[in-house]
Amino acid sequence: MALKTFAAIDVGSFELAMKIFEISPRAGLREIDDIRHRIDLGTDTYTTGKISNERINELCEVLKEFKEIMRTYKVNAYRAYATSALRETENRLIILDMIKNRTGLDIEVLSNSEQRFLDYKAIASKGEGFQKIIEKGTAIVDIGGGSVQISLFDNDSLITTQNIRLGVLRMRERILSMQVKPSQYEKLIEEIVDNQLEILKKMYFKDRVIDNIIVVDDYLSPVMQNPAVCAGGGYMTREDCIALAGQLQGKNKAEIAKKLGISEDKVFLLFNSVVLMKRVIECMNAKLLWAPGVTLCDGMVYEYAEGNKLISPEHDFEKDILACVANISKRYMGSKKRSESVENIALTIFDSMKKIHGLGKRERLLLQIAAKLYDCGKYISMTSVGECSYSIIMATEIIGLSHLEREMVANIVKYNRIDFPYYHENGEQLGMDLASYLKVAKLTAILKLSNGLDRSHKQKFKTIKATLHEQEQELVLSVDTAADITLEKGLIKPKAQFFEEVYSIRPVIRQKRNYRKQ
Amino acid sequence: MGEKSEKPFRNPAYYTNRELSWLQFDNRILGEARDKSIPLFERLKFLSITASNLDEFFMVRVASLKDMVHAGYEKKDIAGMTPQQQLKALNTETHELVNMQYSTYNRSLLPQLSANGLHIITQHEKLTKKQEEYLNRYFEDEVYPVLTPMAVDSSRPFPLIRNKSLNIGALVRKKGEEKAEIEFATVQVPSVLPRIIQLPQEIGEKGATATVILLEEVIEHNIDQLFLNYDVICAHPFRIMRNADLSIDEDEAADLLKEIEKQLKKRQWGEAIRLEVEDGIDKRLLKIIKNELKLSEEDIYYIPGPLDLTFLMKMYGMDGFDALKVPKYTPQPVKELPADADIFEEIKKHDILLHHPYQTFEPVVDFVRKAARDPQVLAIKQTLYRVSGNSPIIKALAQAAENGKQVSVLVELKARFDEENNIVWAKMLEKAGCHVIYGLVGLKTHSKITLVVRREEDGIRRYVHLGTGNYNDATAKLYTDTGLLTCQEAIGEDATAVFNMLSGYSEPKSWNKLALAPLWLKDKFLYLIGREAENAKAGEKAHIVAKMNSLCDRDIIEALYKASAAGVKIELIVRGICCLKVGIPGVSENITVRSIVGNFLEHARIYYFENAGSPEVYMSSADWMPRNLERRVEILFPVEQEDLKEKAIHILRVQLADTLKAHVMQADGSYEKIDKRGKKLICAQDTFCEEAIREAEEAKAKDDPAKDRVFIPEKSQIIQEDE
Repeated sequence: MALKTFAAIDVGSFELAMKIFEISPRAGLREIDDIRHRIDLGTDTYTTGKISNERINELCEVLKEFKEIMRTYKVNAYRAYATSALRETENRLIILDMIKNRTGLDIEVLSNSEQRFLDYKAIASKGEGFQKIIEKGTAIVDIGGGSVQISLFDNDSLITTQNIRLGVLRMRERILSMQVKPSQYEKLIEEIVDNQLEILKKMYFKDRVIDNIIVVDDYLSPVMQNPAVCAGGGYMTREDCIALAGQLQGKNKAEIAKKLGISEDKVFLLFNSVVLMKRVIECMNAKLLWAPGVTLCDGMVYEYAEGNKLISPEHDFEKDILACVANISKRYMGSKKRSESVENIALTIFDSMKKIHGLGKRERLLLQIAAKLYDCGKYISMTSVGECSYSIIMATEIIGLSHLEREMVANIVKYNRIDFPYYHENGEQLGMDLASYLKVAKLTAILKLSNGLDRSHKQKFKTIKATLHEQEQELVLSVDTAADITLEKGLIKPKAQFFEEVYSIRPVIRQKRNYRKQ
Repeated sequence: MGEKSEKPFRNPAYYTNRELSWLQFDNRILGEARDKSIPLFERLKFLSITASNLDEFFMVRVASLKDMVHAGYEKKDIAGMTPQQQLKALNTETHELVNMQYSTYNRSLLPQLSANGLHIITQHEKLTKKQEEYLNRYFEDEVYPVLTPMAVDSSRPFPLIRNKSLNIGALVRKKGEEKAEIEFATVQVPSVLPRIIQLPQEIGEKGATATVILLEEVIEHNIDQLFLNYDVICAHPFRIMRNADLSIDEDEAADLLKEIEKQLKKRQWGEAIRLEVEDGIDKRLLKIIKNELKLSEEDIYYIPGPLDLTFLMKMYGMDGFDALKVPKYTPQPVKELPADADIFEEIKKHDILLHHPYQTFEPVVDFVRKAARDPQVLAIKQTLYRVSGNSPIIKALAQAAENGKQVSVLVELKARFDEENNIVWAKMLEKAGCHVIYGLVGLKTHSKITLVVRREEDGIRRYVHLGTGNYNDATAKLYTDTGLLTCQEAIGEDATAVFNMLSGYSEPKSWNKLALAPLWLKDKFLYLIGREAENAKAGEKAHIVAKMNSLCDRDIIEALYKASAAGVKIELIVRGICCLKVGIPGVSENITVRSIVGNFLEHARIYYFENAGSPEVYMSSADWMPRNLERRVEILFPVEQEDLKEKAIHILRVQLADTLKAHVMQADGSYEKIDKRGKKLICAQDTFCEEAIREAEEAKAKDDPAKDRVFIPEKSQIIQEDE
């Protein structure tokens, strides 16, 4: 049957949600059920660092029910992702194991950037509305329990993304612990928020014009989506948003809950979100606010459907990741020309070696990212470029990459410069499993070689062709250049050594002199 | 008062006390018992209903008011009356009602019964020799073994007289001791034996089809046998009603519940609140009972006839009097669902509106039954409120679970009458593998909704049945209700959300079509009523027609008054309680209220709003009562398909045109039947019966292959497929 049923489970900080979808190439994604259970895991984590047993029991009970519902719908596949509450819990591994034993469900903990990327995919899955709105300068404000992610769009692609730890649940805990009067809340929230927004603005937004803001959250979005409260069908003007903040101030919870059609315990969190949005709007001088009303689950199904080629995406997410990476490189004054050259060589080699390395599209992307960032550490130090690059990459959020993938990229970049450690020696330094280690080794080998070929930084290898001669165990790199490549030829040895070690293929450089072009 | 000027429509003078309004309803039923144009046995039935209604009214409502008085609760009701005042007003009214019941029985029904061949021996003293012999033997064989006579003296305390039981009290004295003290003795008339004893034809009244005597008369006749060592000075039946219902009526405010909980210790548990005695009871006997049960004079009802008239329902069932009953109506097949149709296919083609009992309830049972067996069905979810004893729906649900379908059933255990019954089959469902939810904390689930999730070729499709009446195939033959079968995606989504909520999950982000109590429904109604008022002010046509069982929500009535004052034409069809008053200048001049009391119990809730020329019609499980809107899970659903909307409007139109069974509320609050002179005689219920029969016949004729007297040869299969 062409029809697939998919379950997306989101173990959130304040809510456990499952959506059931039907996916068909013809009809696309169709949500058929949306089950949500309120469970406050966040407060436990953010205040004590651990999730209490009662909560875990409750979590397991509901997950068991979810499993039963999945059985009813005969789902073909499921994904269960946990976000910051579980991510930041100290006893995370124990809890995950417990859940697995009790419910049979595999829960994966998303890194922040993966989570935000899924939210972003969820928004993009809204198709038209999204493509239209990002034509102008747009910021996505993704409000979670633990933190807020602010991503910037310009000209249809993602520029930068930053995480500030001002999630609504965390804020609530902070504010309630201060023991101030409710009438002071707004002021307090504003002060905390402004402080961070200022930095953000100065460092990253600069003088970009941001007309639109897309908000993803669990409190303000439902209100904006509720036609009885907000007539705009998810859209709100700057003035409306500021007015809403004013309306919430000074009213009692029950009144607000009734008026907006939400439950009372969400009122404070809503208030938090609204004040935050108000400040963001004012700070960025935006005109329009859009709440597409999507959740992580929407992103999960999109990812699944896309990955299994059940739908064809309208938006190129890889392009977003690369655009973002290019921006990071630019930030650390990487040479665009040089990295492009390395990237070009690396990808050419990667593609020609497919048969040997057996790696896929995703690894190719990692290599591409590594090539783009291969010398970003120079910004800090000329001598320990590898270590500095590693630190920069690890400290920079790359939206769309998992933590492990980021670690891989950082290592590839690092060992591009220094000797690759053997797993049994100090492989644990790499902080990854064996399979990933081997991938890193293979990709590092390619990057090292590519970097070596561009040793003079003069992009002599602009037009390189790589041909694999399996029988001779050779990779012939033919260069169409009239330039002198003695330096490269000479220096290639040590670089090629590692390549040979990894692939047992020897790289050979052949120069085709094309005098006509000169 | 400041409140008055702020809320001019809340003036208590504009509202009727709900208990008094209820008594008016019982009076309207009594009116049917007195209506000579109605077949005699039907009148018996109506009289019996007034009696059982009144019993329940005492146990629930009067008991509740007494609780309030005991608790010192002084809060005034919608009409500005304190509990004390209400009790006082009720007392006068109920005494009058009871008098009217017995005058109906004695003066009207008894002679008529006799004239029609049913002779009732009203006094055992009047038995003939042969009858006496027969009954004495009956007493010895059948009655005596189950009697438990109890005497009271210094060593034996006053026995517990059971709530609602019929008893015979007697004064006795030790035999041969003329001066001995008179003692009280009592015996319960056993409820295990039939109350009506039919005498054999040959010893019965000459010329009568049947001669009967009531059980208590037979016991009284043989009372000496029970107290062999005593002389029986006198013996009279009596019956008490107790405030023994531990649960407090859900209609009362939460603050009252708290108050009463606090006062629980003070509450006299099982306190007697009504005493019925035979008129002419021995004064000494009455005094003993009255003192023992701590009753005051106004709680005593002197009954000139048999106590507890509910036996008349049994009498209705006697054989041989069919000519004196309305011929039994057979619910008709639904034309959209021919006998061999695939119900899912039909629903896919077209929404279907069902009107019971004119149309059969079978499609609803069939819906669940087919779903239970259909291999494509993944899940069945249903709310069950009151289910018949041997319900085919329960069986189907159990079967579905056994067939591996996911079956979720919300069983409302708080349904007032049959909790124990509910527990039995709920357990059975659980055993069969169903997921049973035993109600929600603090809320009664009154909504009637069934969801069938089916996995079809093009994906999940949800089939939904929404109704105004319970999933009870027995009462569906007696109650008028409406139901909708649909597979509209918007309603299917909402139905899924309803069951998610009933399972304890969060509310959906928004609703497509349904409105739910207790969270959204009241606001929705207030919005719909308010919209009419706005339209009227804007010069648009504004009109509300609403049919329900009871109307007593203050906010709704206030909104209706405002709408009326704004010029909205409001026509209400309210069967029972109605706290709204008509004809108040500036307040309710544009409102009419009518109540239809007929052979079938009016039960459907249909709401029509003009909406400036694009009318909206809704149906619901909810009345306009605070309990429905605030303390129950109820559903309001729209009827949107044009032809079905027409059908629903037709139902309302016919009821508004009824001239035979409608009682119209007058400005003074009383109800009067319609002056039929010069008007077409229309009985809405009969009209619906006729229409249903006609429609079914037409459908049948259309399907009849022989109707054209020309046979149509089947074309070859291949050709057909090519077409």
